[in-house]
Amino acid sequence: MKKIVTAILALAFVCVGLGLGQARHPSELKYPSLKYDPPDPKAFRAEYAGGLRAYVQEDRSLPLFNITAIVSCGGLYAPKVKSGLDTVLGDQLIKGGTKTRDGAAIEERIDFLGGSLNFNVGERTSTLSLSVLSKDLDEGLAIFFDVLMNPEFREDPLKLAKARFVEQLRQANDQPNGVLSREYEKLLYGDNALTWRPTKATYEGITAADLKAFHAKYFSPKNVILAVSGDFAKADLKTKVNKLVAGWKGKAVAFPALPKAFPAPEPGVYFIQKAINQGYISLGHLGLDDTNPDYFAVQVMNFILGGGSFTSRITTKVRSDEGLSYNQGSRFTYRWGLPGTFAGYVQTKSSTVGYAISLILNEFNRIRKEPVSDAEMETAVNYYLESFADGFQSSLATMSSFANLEMTGKPMDYYKTYRSKIQAVNKARVQEVAARYIHPDTAVIMIVGDFEPCNKGGDKWSGALDKLGKVHRINLTDPMTGEEIKNP
Amino acid sequence: MKKRIVICVAAAFVLVALAQAAGVTLDVKEHVLKNGMKILMIPKPGVPRVVCHIYFKVGSINERPGITGSAHVHEHLMFKGTEVMGVTDYAKDSEIDRQIDALMDQIYREKYWKTDGDAAKIAAWQKEVDELVKAEKAFIIKDDLWTQYMKNGGTGLNASTSQETTGYYVTLPSNKIELQMLLESDRLMNARFREFYSEKDVIMEERRLSENQPGYFFGEQVDAAFYTASPYHWDVIGWMDDLKRMTKEDLVDFHNRYYVPNNAVAIYVGEFDPAAVIAMADKYFGRIPKGPDLEPIRTGEPPQYSEKRLYGEGPAATSLRMMFHTPPDGHPDTPALAILASTLGSGGGGFRGGGGGGGTGRLYKTLVRDKQLAVSASASGRPQWYVGAFQFNATPRVDKGVKPEDLEKEIWAEIDKVKKDGLTEEEIQKAKNRNEATFIRSLGSASGLAGRVGRADLQRGWRAILSDLEDLKKITNDDIKRVAAKYFVKDNSLTAIYTRKSGR
Repeated sequence: MKKIVTAILALAFVCVGLGLGQARHPSELKYPSLKYDPPDPKAFRAEYAGGLRAYVQEDRSLPLFNITAIVSCGGLYAPKVKSGLDTVLGDQLIKGGTKTRDGAAIEERIDFLGGSLNFNVGERTSTLSLSVLSKDLDEGLAIFFDVLMNPEFREDPLKLAKARFVEQLRQANDQPNGVLSREYEKLLYGDNALTWRPTKATYEGITAADLKAFHAKYFSPKNVILAVSGDFAKADLKTKVNKLVAGWKGKAVAFPALPKAFPAPEPGVYFIQKAINQGYISLGHLGLDDTNPDYFAVQVMNFILGGGSFTSRITTKVRSDEGLSYNQGSRFTYRWGLPGTFAGYVQTKSSTVGYAISLILNEFNRIRKEPVSDAEMETAVNYYLESFADGFQSSLATMSSFANLEMTGKPMDYYKTYRSKIQAVNKARVQEVAARYIHPDTAVIMIVGDFEPCNKGGDKWSGALDKLGKVHRINLTDPMTGEEIKNP
Repeated sequence: MKKRIVICVAAAFVLVALAQAAGVTLDVKEHVLKNGMKILMIPKPGVPRVVCHIYFKVGSINERPGITGSAHVHEHLMFKGTEVMGVTDYAKDSEIDRQIDALMDQIYREKYWKTDGDAAKIAAWQKEVDELVKAEKAFIIKDDLWTQYMKNGGTGLNASTSQETTGYYVTLPSNKIELQMLLESDRLMNARFREFYSEKDVIMEERRLSENQPGYFFGEQVDAAFYTASPYHWDVIGWMDDLKRMTKEDLVDFHNRYYVPNNAVAIYVGEFDPAAVIAMADKYFGRIPKGPDLEPIRTGEPPQYSEKRLYGEGPAATSLRMMFHTPPDGHPDTPALAILASTLGSGGGGFRGGGGGGGTGRLYKTLVRDKQLAVSASASGRPQWYVGAFQFNATPRVDKGVKPEDLEKEIWAEIDKVKKDGLTEEEIQKAKNRNEATFIRSLGSASGLAGRVGRADLQRGWRAILSDLEDLKKITNDDIKRVAAKYFVKDNSLTAIYTRKSGR
């Protein structure tokens, strides 16, 4: 009899395992095993004429052709007097036309084909992306390389673009979030290419010659990596690309020096006045470089602190327990070859600004001083391991990821080794990197909001804000002139 | 407490629908549970991930004055645990929760029902509530559902509420679909809205975030003025007064009425075996009893018979908006209006509504590039389920002294041209090409596809995506001229003029 009971229990267990039994709680579920190996970049790498590199994947699931050129250049390389060159270039590479095509005609044709052609200029990398139906591959590819290699930056579209961008400057101080992120970076990085902003004068000073010179310097086959996916044959594509880029040359690029020294701002509160009913807050300091070997431990640590959405401590405390905010957490941002930033962030009604900040500072201190729990570790590590395949769902995104690895000089086995590096993070490492990269004592607390009600506080935290450190009032700059607005 | 009834679905009704459009096959497998819940599946082999979405046919249009915002509040509360999830001792927890609700009821009556409520009484009750909230924490497992999903590799974890639908999203490894079935069926049957009052505070903060976007208040007034009778009158977030006064009972009623399996569609896109998904769906979602049938919305928009104009000032860019009432989704005039939005606006936008403000649109070419009167100019269409809208937006070149009213005249001139001559054959063909290419591109994104197919299925059935595509191909210039003349008239319009000034 006893044996039979055991057998039935075992059978029930097997049924759950096979998905036959109905579980009441997730702890009763048993999942079939799943193995996933990321694609190997080597299998997709190609080299075209002139030293042009590419990551290419045939993907016949849809009749589409997608190609992205990642160019090693960006806004950081524009001089201060030409601030805004990145924005203008981003707009004019296509709209300014090529030697043989009018910009408007290019846009019109791509649109008629139901395609898309976009150019974006980032900090150190820029991307030109084309998507067309595969039946239009030849025509699309010809336009794509023409725009990439032979932009003409005609005067009329340039003049119009500059006037529009100057007009858009009027909105630079409108959004509280935009003001906060811009001023927070300005405080942490100081006065250099990372924080220079365009003004009416810098926009107006940008000429077609500036754009041409910038293009000539950086847009060369050896300074570009392609990411390609879609409905085509690799060999055919190679022949076509080689034909289009024949004769495309360029000198070795000498990149301007990156900003190196950053100020150490005085810790305390930095307040920017705006007549709104919440305080928008960032508190923290500079972070770390994305090639830092501590990167993986920092990811896990920040997931627990404030990066892991509702499972993270800051969200649990500030939102879920206290109902103080909708959006809160902590983040490390990363930049290629430069330190990123670290910030705790929250937006909360004026009367709870001081209280929310005090709760976030408590969490900064707690993760430095106490080991995290086993359950927190399990959630954070498993999240990264189990969601790993997510990054490879789109063949174009995968090719772009590989091209970016190569462009930024990261190891090409980055994805292959990713999970083992996450797995190697333990509780001691989490506490170690928290202590190394989170410094409440040197943090700046930046607030965009209405000073009087924020300073007054509320029931749970009665103010004033100088309890959190010396209060500095920051005046915004007039986006048109770049000069300080004295009486906002 | 709701009874849990296990329904065994004996004969599974599986329909594989293959429809050809644009030379591409959209293959959606359908299965309807006995309780009326629909399961849609789009297998997409490649990477072992599955996008799992559930859509309910409920949104802010199902609300009424007094409970505006409740569809969205309810969506938040669906993350606040069930009888099984998020709680260590359900019996003890629910007893505390009951006491909190009783006290809060007293507080609300004193505070909101009376004009001279007793502040001392309110404070004393609130103190009791605070103590109970503290005591309840011992039994609450914080954000249990999120933790379960995340430690199992759940990404894209979220939910959203619109005027018409509410969706719950997660993408999981292919071997863990059962987790989604369990958690979603559990919260459909056993939701218990813990931490209701602090979550309302969170939502009021969410509303304040919107309020602090420059121009938000004016935009809210414009929509309210445009939609006078239909429940599109209020924003999804709801009015602040309603958020404050809404009770837990309101939300329980809302849940019981709309969160029934016959009002839901679950959709799976990714690498999986459809037969296994059907078996799991039968097991988990199939155990939920069918609810009563739900009546569609009653109130549409009455004809205006007069032009509306609205003026505002505040801390955002000077701008013009012109809005016109158009018919609901599925009306024979909808595709011609989509082509108009696509041609006048161009660039950006999407299928159906079309539109945008890109460089190849008529408005950009005329107002931004040639006449240099505007920084931007766009057109867009929103068919919506019950009432539609067509909208023009433009920002003037303040540096040249251009006023919104000047742009208004220019846009009317463009409209009159369309009424007289329609569009060129090339423009119409371009709009058709763009629509078809956008459709093909949409098939590439698993989560985009899940959203589009799932939502479409709730109202007109997912095949409407394909028939709309075919209908748009049939549009001629006569259709364009006819719909322009029919809808772009002053008596059917609202014009909103906003001027930058300091203030809110």
